[in-house]
Amino acid sequence: MSDVPASFRPTRRQTLGLFGLGAAGLVIPQAFGGVAFAQDAAPKGQIVLGFSQEPTVFNPHLLHIEVDEGVYFAIFDPLFGVDAEGKFYPLLAAEVPTVENGGISADGLTWKVKLRDDVKWHDGTPFTAEDVKFTLELLVNPDFRSWRRAGHELVQELTVVSPTEISWKMSAPYAPYASILASTFIVPKHAFDGQADLNATPFNNAPIGTGPFKWVKRVAGDYIEMEANTDYVGDGPYVEKLIIKYIPDMTVLYTQFKTGDIDVIGLQWITADHYDEAKALPDRVVIKAPNPTVESIGLNLGKPVFQDKAVRQALYAALDKTTLIDALYYGLPLPTESYMPQQSFYYNPDLPKHEFSTEKANAILDEAGWVKGGDGIREKDGVRLAFTNSTTAGNHLREQAQQFIQQTFAEIGAEMTIHNLPPAVMWGDYWMLSQYDSTIVGIAFLTGPDPDTADYFSSKSISAKGGAGQNTFQWENEDVDRLLAEGAKIFVPEERKVPYLELQELAREELPFLPMFQYTVLPGTKTGIEGLVPNVNVRVDSWNVGSWRWV
Amino acid sequence: MLRFLLGRLGQSLILLFIVSLIGFSVLLLAPGGPMSQFALTPGISKAELDKIAAQMGLDRPILVQYADWLWGLVRGDWGNSFRDGRPVLEIIGGHLFATLLLMGSSTVIAVGLGTWIGIKGAVKRYSMFDYAATVGAMIALSIPTFWFGLVSIYIFSLRLGWLPAGNMFTIGDQTVLDYLHHLIMPSMVLALVNVAIWSRYMRTATLEVINQDFVKTARAKGLSPRRVLMKHVVGNALIPMITLAGLQLPTLLGGALVTETVFTWPGMGRLFLDSLGYSDYPVIMGLLMFSAILVIIGNLAADLITAFVDPRIRLA
Amino acid sequence: MTELPLPTYGTAPPRNRTLRRFLRHRLAVVGLAIIVILTVACIVGPWLLPYDQLYIDLRARFAPPMTGAHIFGTDPLGRDIAARLFMAGRVSLLVGFMAMVISTIVGTFVGVVAGYHGGRLGAVLMRIVDGFLSFPAIFLLLTLAAFVKPSPFMITVIIAVTSWMQVARVVEAEVRSLRERDFILAARMLGLSSSHIMFRELLPNVAGPIIVSATLTIANAILLEAYISFLGYGIQPPLPSWGNMLNGAQQYLATAPWLAIVPGVAITLAVTGFNFVGDGLRDALDARSDLS
Repeated sequence: MSDVPASFRPTRRQTLGLFGLGAAGLVIPQAFGGVAFAQDAAPKGQIVLGFSQEPTVFNPHLLHIEVDEGVYFAIFDPLFGVDAEGKFYPLLAAEVPTVENGGISADGLTWKVKLRDDVKWHDGTPFTAEDVKFTLELLVNPDFRSWRRAGHELVQELTVVSPTEISWKMSAPYAPYASILASTFIVPKHAFDGQADLNATPFNNAPIGTGPFKWVKRVAGDYIEMEANTDYVGDGPYVEKLIIKYIPDMTVLYTQFKTGDIDVIGLQWITADHYDEAKALPDRVVIKAPNPTVESIGLNLGKPVFQDKAVRQALYAALDKTTLIDALYYGLPLPTESYMPQQSFYYNPDLPKHEFSTEKANAILDEAGWVKGGDGIREKDGVRLAFTNSTTAGNHLREQAQQFIQQTFAEIGAEMTIHNLPPAVMWGDYWMLSQYDSTIVGIAFLTGPDPDTADYFSSKSISAKGGAGQNTFQWENEDVDRLLAEGAKIFVPEERKVPYLELQELAREELPFLPMFQYTVLPGTKTGIEGLVPNVNVRVDSWNVGSWRWV
Repeated sequence: MLRFLLGRLGQSLILLFIVSLIGFSVLLLAPGGPMSQFALTPGISKAELDKIAAQMGLDRPILVQYADWLWGLVRGDWGNSFRDGRPVLEIIGGHLFATLLLMGSSTVIAVGLGTWIGIKGAVKRYSMFDYAATVGAMIALSIPTFWFGLVSIYIFSLRLGWLPAGNMFTIGDQTVLDYLHHLIMPSMVLALVNVAIWSRYMRTATLEVINQDFVKTARAKGLSPRRVLMKHVVGNALIPMITLAGLQLPTLLGGALVTETVFTWPGMGRLFLDSLGYSDYPVIMGLLMFSAILVIIGNLAADLITAFVDPRIRLA
Repeated sequence: MTELPLPTYGTAPPRNRTLRRFLRHRLAVVGLAIIVILTVACIVGPWLLPYDQLYIDLRARFAPPMTGAHIFGTDPLGRDIAARLFMAGRVSLLVGFMAMVISTIVGTFVGVVAGYHGGRLGAVLMRIVDGFLSFPAIFLLLTLAAFVKPSPFMITVIIAVTSWMQVARVVEAEVRSLRERDFILAARMLGLSSSHIMFRELLPNVAGPIIVSATLTIANAILLEAYISFLGYGIQPPLPSWGNMLNGAQQYLATAPWLAIVPGVAITLAVTGFNFVGDGLRDALDARSDLS
């Protein structure tokens, strides 16, 4: 435990009171495990972290993609982070606000956050509550191309009480907000002062943060170089230089991991087919890391063919998940019945188990009145059991899965035509406005550790019907709406669990999407690098990059 | 001379206009768009994305957007990338070196090898060498560049382990030797097609010169065959090759793009593919225009040099 | 295109001599043989093999060549590569051929009109040709392919859109040089319509260069299809094409190199065949070249 600086070690009381999750007990977040390490040793060496996408957006609040967050965790800090167990730990906040410690009022409407007084921005300016206020205001600024307004829009009466304390009121009790804050990186107000266009500031390409690493330079299309922030108040940094290298091809990414050109292989990771080979590599450590993304066959319930629940259930029965996972994915992903990551406190392990059986599928369809026509395709009331399936063209693993699924669906008289589209087309209106029939898609449904999924399931989230959200399945169900509304208002995890367990049962029964598996990804490091800890509650590997080190 | 230059300049501008029109209409008439990449962002909605697209001016009629973009271009403002907001020219500039390095080194290989094979083939016409060179060139022209790259990676990186499978350098070891080590395979792969083209043209050009009167005269004067070859034949045969070099620029650039994708070379080709993936219109348009300008300048330079070298050609 | 009447007057030599010259061109004959064999194999092959190109057998995935009846091995889904290769050949050759037909028609039309009329119309048309030629075709091709629904028909059209210019250029130059020849002047004096002169009188006389350039266009179209399908923007699975068989092959290069080698060799063979034939035709149709 001596490896964790005192300020970072949550006390037992704090941990028990940690807001948002009930699984109390373990005191030290797993992230800070590992061998003892001299606290004040000077950072040494460098780590090259390879990603297969290029980070390009460095203001963490501009619209960005997953991989960009790989840099944010190095440069910035949120008020508090979330560890692999789903527990919050303070970063810029002196303590995580909870109902218990008075940070959040019992009705969930008033929030007070105490901040650390010893934090400096990379340029030497002291960090204060003004920066927090600025950040939260920036996110809802109508002229700003904000990546997330949901949740922040509820914040009112944002008040700087003192340089080390900020408070606000929520217009409605909203339990998921803590998780949203845990992925809200605080940016320095002074970097934006006097800027006419907040979307295009010098800060965008020379970010200043409070995090373990300072920005040095970026060679576009190639790599980003960062150096140790020796004044960092949190854990680390233990290496002098952090380089995030962009390698546009996953095979080459792996090859470079093998040859030692990169020290850590991150986002998009080692491909499953290389797992056996990678495991056997000398001086390399490969980690089987659960990822919150769930791969499913999304069905567009707006299409007549999918409106019959029997069709959805029959297709699910005709899905040879086991073979698919074992053969195409080398048995790595976790078969699942739920959209909820299995590591989550809210995961429902008691859902009915999927069984592959074309007989059963045929029986369901026969019973529901779907009759085979002359061409072997079933029909009912003039609707043919024929549909297209779309995903990103060029994703060959998914394309293989599609072709395999196509074959088993054909056995039950369902005709699935593959209709893949270039990414810009696939995920444009085609997805957003529910123009597809069915799709294979990997979605991380949760925001951090929070179980709320209103964005994907609420009947108010159907963009095709003018809603705001991504319920592109067009799943409209009153019980779902009720459960979602209920869950968002409960602040005690044990009580909160109830509606979400029920919601998972509903999703498994109604099957607006056919759950296939939860991703297992394969990051890897050179032997001697410690600190890399898989965390299903963040979107990228570098969430604790400050703690990474050579031993 | 001046009239010629002005005329060519005018033609080039019309050309560029046409290129830009083709590119812009293709890009903006297509479905999808730069907001697609944010689709699965938690908490984002279609309305939100539409609002941001509108802020970026993407909801305006295509003609208005085109006029706006063109007016910017005229003033030297090529726009900013949708991804990192940096000026397009700066971004292209950042990728230029890698592509030029690849193109340059493969041209050196292609010209060297191609000239030698071509001349030797012409001098020893219908020999085994000539025949092998002809067949070899035809086959080289038929091999898909990217596939040749894959096979090379398989042999030289995966089987033999002699050469790196990709990238321009090893991080932390950016020595000249390291660059060269990474450069060998991609430049060879890219050179393959060009060796074929150069050797064929060089052979034809040499054959044409060999039979001309002044060569016969030189030979009659009793000059050694070697001197005749080096001084009179090669010199004169190289003139049409300059034009060829100009005309081959688009092919070379296209080839570089293909090669870069296989070897993850951080040049313009990769930038182009990345930008396509993210529908980064300003950068895509910038690259289209930039390559068109490069080609036009290449052609013009070839014409000028030819005129300068060969007194028989006068630029009207 | 071979249905076109061969030239009876003008620059090209008579038919029997052309044929003789072509047959004397050994490479051309080899090329023709390759094309014929490949085409026949692609048409007949699928019936001779015991496997269906679409049948997935995950237990048999990644079988190396010569495993049982899998002469070229199996792919990541356990499908027989030989069966896929032949079906893919049908698609790739057809796409190449149709792209050639479209681009030859467009290119010839533009070339004849521009060459015959000359003047402002000709200049505008040829500037458009230059416009298309002045940036790498692959840029335009990928830009188009990235945003268009990738069906075989669209891929064919896209390839044609980026490869008609060479034909146009060749035809324009030929027509321009023929325009002032006696037989055209005579036709004009007889009061024949422009379209009659262009397509009845001039066209047969440029058939030679058109055929040559058409042959080379097929070769190029096959390469282009392979490249865009390799990048995943081309022909979509489960329909195989030589290019999309290579898509993903890079990933398995170390463990299953035959996935990359087999279709690559097929592409190279086909393209070489067309290039050989094109070269032979050029020599055979060109009265000046000597083949002694």
